[in-house]
Amino acid sequence: MHVVKASDQSPPSLLSGANRVRLEHWLAAQAGASRVTVTEDGRLGGGAISLNLAVTLDIVGGPLAGCHACVLRAEGGGRISASIGKLREFVILRAAFAAGVMAPEPLFGCDDPAVLGHDFYIMRRAEGLGAGHAVTRSDAAQPELARELGRQLGLLHRITPDAEGLERLGEAPDCPAQGTLAQYRRWFGDLGRRDPVIAWGLRWLEVNAPQPGAVVLCHRDFRTGNYLVKDGALTAILDWEFAGFSDPMEDLGWFCARSWRFRRPDREAGGIADRADFYAGYEETSGRRVDPARVAYWETAAYLRWAAIAVEQGLRHSSGAERSLELALTGRMLPEIEMDMLRHLRAVSALGGMAAGAVERVA
Amino acid sequence: MRANPDARGLLEIAASTFRADVLPHVAPEARFAALMVANALEIAERELKGLDAAGHSMLGALALLYGEDADDALSGDDLRKRVEALQHRLCIEIAAGDFDNEGQDVLMDSLEAIVEARLGISNPKALG
Repeated sequence: MHVVKASDQSPPSLLSGANRVRLEHWLAAQAGASRVTVTEDGRLGGGAISLNLAVTLDIVGGPLAGCHACVLRAEGGGRISASIGKLREFVILRAAFAAGVMAPEPLFGCDDPAVLGHDFYIMRRAEGLGAGHAVTRSDAAQPELARELGRQLGLLHRITPDAEGLERLGEAPDCPAQGTLAQYRRWFGDLGRRDPVIAWGLRWLEVNAPQPGAVVLCHRDFRTGNYLVKDGALTAILDWEFAGFSDPMEDLGWFCARSWRFRRPDREAGGIADRADFYAGYEETSGRRVDPARVAYWETAAYLRWAAIAVEQGLRHSSGAERSLELALTGRMLPEIEMDMLRHLRAVSALGGMAAGAVERVA
Repeated sequence: MRANPDARGLLEIAASTFRADVLPHVAPEARFAALMVANALEIAERELKGLDAAGHSMLGALALLYGEDADDALSGDDLRKRVEALQHRLCIEIAAGDFDNEGQDVLMDSLEAIVEARLGISNPKALG
């Protein structure tokens, strides 16, 4: 993982003095331990929205006695519309881990503001390389990595809304496509009447919306950049802050979108391999077939979702809510995301379009 | 009265000096921030230099759909307002379903040209 040095940005005082003492007491009670010592190992990257601290827990007594390399993940300054609270994220991580998904093992979750002020949870720390540009650097394709990611996603998608412990997530949508469209209209607001590319994307989603089908637990940010790789093998799937119930093909469309292919736009599965490798792994474990027309629908939805997030990030900066050059530049990525969406729509249309065949094929 | 060099000239030399003389010496932990600074300076430079040209390209793209409204003589705020008005009109027509069954090829050509004009400012590398 990419540890950011203390000199890089002023680290927040999340674990200063009294906070650390309260956290250690709370952890000791949770772990049934006689004592817990928390050592801070630095701030971790990948936290545009959340705050990720590398910590070591030294637990004395109780079932978890020993030394554990962990990550403390807390609500960051600016939560955006698509993200869920840290305790919901903890519940999802627990469900995914229990289903055999290679997610970091979640250990403790806390929504008591008296401890650190923010909701937070602690999970085991995984090792590996995460940055998209690094993962897609290799000259050779990585079909086995893509297949394994497919298998992992398939395992996750076996979790349905009636799974025990997921009540906190609220109602699953009857029709994910319609729900998503309504949400995007809210997110874009006035921009849908000022930017014709956004207007066309929204209209396309409306006209081509597939019939409701399976609804499962989706990661909703399953992509290159959000998993760790060590010696070419997957070690962990990260960043569960957008997870929720949806059409399983949404995660496949997101994973394959051009936005997350980094150095290798020609490798359609996350910049690492062909779609066929990823899809094959998915079909091994998910118990369902990949529906390419539905994946294409959700890939269009992916560009609009990423566009909405980019616009919101830019506004977080411009409104003064959180001044940041990274957020400002993310706001300026809109044309690039729109171009990717138009390229995708051209490709779909070259294959004969969606409107006539989509419903028939997926019904 | 305009100072010399003006804002555009200052940005141009600041961005090129930053990239040539500062960036190579930046410590690894500050490199990401430094690259962002270079990127932001260059976007601002292209915007100051090329906003009207981009506006005319967008107007040309919209002229594929609304020939009668294109006007090469516009500049500055007038140009921006004309582009905004035509884009608004197009959004309304798209939402009303005017392109659901026909005209999608011309619409796609027009949308691509609009985005290309904006990409020329925000990220010309993505044009390829």
